[in-house]
Amino acid sequence: MINTKVLDKILNKVEKPARYIGMEQNSIKKDLNKVKVKFAFSFPDIYDVGMSHLGLHILYNLINEEEDFACERVFSPWLDMEEEMRKENLPLFTLESKEEVKNFDFLGFTLQYEMSYTNILNILDLADIPLLSKDRKEEDPLVIAGGPCAYNPEPIADFIDFFVIGEGEEVTLEILHLYKKHKEEKGTRDEFLEKVATIEGVYVPKFYDIVYNDDNTIKEMIPISPKVPKVIKKRMIKDLNSMFSPEKMIVPFIETIHDRVVLEIFRGCTRGCRFCQAGMIYRPVREKSIDRLVELAEKLIESTGYENISLSSLSSCDYSELYLLISKLMERFEEKKVGVSLPSLRLDSFIIDILNEIEKVRKTGLTFAPEAGSQRLRDVINKGVTEDDLINTVTKVFKEGWSSIKLYFMIGLPTETDEDVLGIKDLAYKVKDIFFSLPKEERKGNLKITASASCFVPKPFTPFQWVGQDSIDEFHRKAHLLKNSIRDKKITFNYHDPKLSYLEAIIARGDRRISKLILRAWEKGCKFDGWSEHFKYDKWIEAMEELNIDGDFYALRTRDFDEVLPWDFIDPLVSKKYLIREFKKSLEGETTGDCREGCRGCGIVDCVMRGEK
Amino acid sequence: MIIRVKFNKKNYLKYISHLDLMRLFQRSFNRANIPVKYSKGFNPQPKFSIGAPLSLGIESEEEYMDIDLEYMPVAEFIDRMNRVLPEDIQIISGKYLKREESLNSIIAWSNYEIQFKTDHRKSKEEINKVIDNWLLHEKIMITKIRKKKGKEIEKEINIRPFIGNVIVKDVNNNITISVLLKTGSNGNLNPMDFVNVLNRDCELNIDMDTISIKRLALYAEKGDELYKPL
Repeated sequence: MINTKVLDKILNKVEKPARYIGMEQNSIKKDLNKVKVKFAFSFPDIYDVGMSHLGLHILYNLINEEEDFACERVFSPWLDMEEEMRKENLPLFTLESKEEVKNFDFLGFTLQYEMSYTNILNILDLADIPLLSKDRKEEDPLVIAGGPCAYNPEPIADFIDFFVIGEGEEVTLEILHLYKKHKEEKGTRDEFLEKVATIEGVYVPKFYDIVYNDDNTIKEMIPISPKVPKVIKKRMIKDLNSMFSPEKMIVPFIETIHDRVVLEIFRGCTRGCRFCQAGMIYRPVREKSIDRLVELAEKLIESTGYENISLSSLSSCDYSELYLLISKLMERFEEKKVGVSLPSLRLDSFIIDILNEIEKVRKTGLTFAPEAGSQRLRDVINKGVTEDDLINTVTKVFKEGWSSIKLYFMIGLPTETDEDVLGIKDLAYKVKDIFFSLPKEERKGNLKITASASCFVPKPFTPFQWVGQDSIDEFHRKAHLLKNSIRDKKITFNYHDPKLSYLEAIIARGDRRISKLILRAWEKGCKFDGWSEHFKYDKWIEAMEELNIDGDFYALRTRDFDEVLPWDFIDPLVSKKYLIREFKKSLEGETTGDCREGCRGCGIVDCVMRGEK
Repeated sequence: MIIRVKFNKKNYLKYISHLDLMRLFQRSFNRANIPVKYSKGFNPQPKFSIGAPLSLGIESEEEYMDIDLEYMPVAEFIDRMNRVLPEDIQIISGKYLKREESLNSIIAWSNYEIQFKTDHRKSKEEINKVIDNWLLHEKIMITKIRKKKGKEIEKEINIRPFIGNVIVKDVNNNITISVLLKTGSNGNLNPMDFVNVLNRDCELNIDMDTISIKRLALYAEKGDELYKPL
């Protein structure tokens, strides 16, 4: 255990000290001397952000349900806390037992966004664990990582001992049981890595060599041992109803982003938006049954005391019996004053009826994501939304009393022209016109439209994985074009920092050489890069110059279909053939329908949509 | 009916804020199935209030809360709540109010126990004397900075009327003092402000990193007499 006197002293000096104390409702503190395997779970950002991540609650409860295992949490301390910890030489500790992270068997990171990678290094450093996998000794924890960004593990391959690709509910326990046995047999670290590499979904970077071509592209990836697989296949849970689902969630003392029960209703998405990585890697779509969901909701409400249930998934409105599910939940919890909410909305007018039902009193703002301004471009990205959908929905929304609308867009999408960019403005103006075309007595509240544009970042395992990103200058030009064209007090336009998106594009499609860049940037003081106020673009550029790394090579370059991509050795079950087909169709502006209306042949075998034509 | 309960807040839970505490109780009522009454209107809220918010980082032996609920036996209320509350926040006792009188309108004084280290080697008597002499002053001024419309306004306040009895309890190892400070809407003195001014005026050389503060009791005031809200 760390020196709690010192902890007490510094907690008096920092903002929101409750971030560091643990002890929340449903947190689990075991006697670490009595368990056989100690797992430190880390979300590499501050507590407030990390605690809103559903995966944490799943794995935390999953691991702690096993008598021999303990899972404790560790987050990035906020800057004030880090400063005090470094001043007092207080090593990074877990929230539950206040035990040094260094004394755990595993330190597992969840990779939710690329710009958190410097925080991983910062956590390792604060925990006094060697930053590079190759420098770690027998007594150091095994540093592992999973989550969506692990689908391209290469940019952090130097730091992580092994990755877990895909869904963690089964494979995590397989790994920990293997480790328990290994520890009993007193095996070495290397022996364990050799054994774990044979578990499906596990990738141990040190067992693979990369050979490069003269033009800096990859020639091939060679397994250095015959025992390790050439291709790493993602792990996927077949049946979500029988899968482990948490019946408890830790309830933070401080307010976090999601202060409510998060009920995962299904995994996967059938829409096939071509820019969306989650829509590809979480395939196939698998739903939990209504009975199971009501059962879980009851237990979660009971154990947390929360007053709201959020129905979570990639596209919750697509749940096949959404209306029935919501009525059942509302009926069940009416007496307890528990509300139900939908986090992501599609532009479907039937959804408004449901919203009306569940948001009986407060008509707070609504958010829609048309993603692109013109129909042509929406077809390119396969966002199955038409202008009529938007107009019908928005009309209904205004009539029902909402007046604050947020519209999300991306700029820099493949094939985008200035006309498409200005389409964003046209759409925002159309929304405004709809509001004012209603008879005065039907308008409620003050109209407020916010149009936000993020800069498109091509991601691995999407049909756009080969595409070059727009340059920073081009993003700025487009954003200004749009900003200058919007001259209406009712419409606010804002856009994300293109510099951040450029870095994100470099890392997202980076290879193993990017590890050095991340390390150098961290050495220069980069951390919390995802927080715009802490993002130090100049330091990153400096690091690239020093290391002779060409950022444009990774971000702006369009790849050939036959180029070996850094993540090609991972099999997400969706086939490359499908991705190529989708990319070609996109260039023709040809759309692909929802899989619920018929199989689109993405390559996934175990899918309920197959055969249901 | 309104039940008034006394509860404590100890150890690490001194680091949760007043607002966090309110949310904790609200969820705990839900989990314990307490029939709390809700306010009317668009956004119904459970009707309960905690008297004299405690500053972050301060432990307490005795805090008070009033809850408006459908009648249930006091013992059952305490039992059900304590089962869902954290170990370091527990309800100690409770009673239904005969006469409605809000906590915030009656609470007037807090008794704090303040501990710290100093490099002075003075005896208990010496320190007591220094403090007694200090308290003979009619005015003890501090500068408070208030934010008004984004501007910072400095204000001089005389805090002497906000300081009651000060007793030095122990000087071994740590110095422990017990102090009565005005609390509530008719004058309020934060214990940290008190320590700062004590250090400034009495030359105690307090090691600020070692200060630990605990609220021992809250008092209401009738005439010159102090009494506990429960």
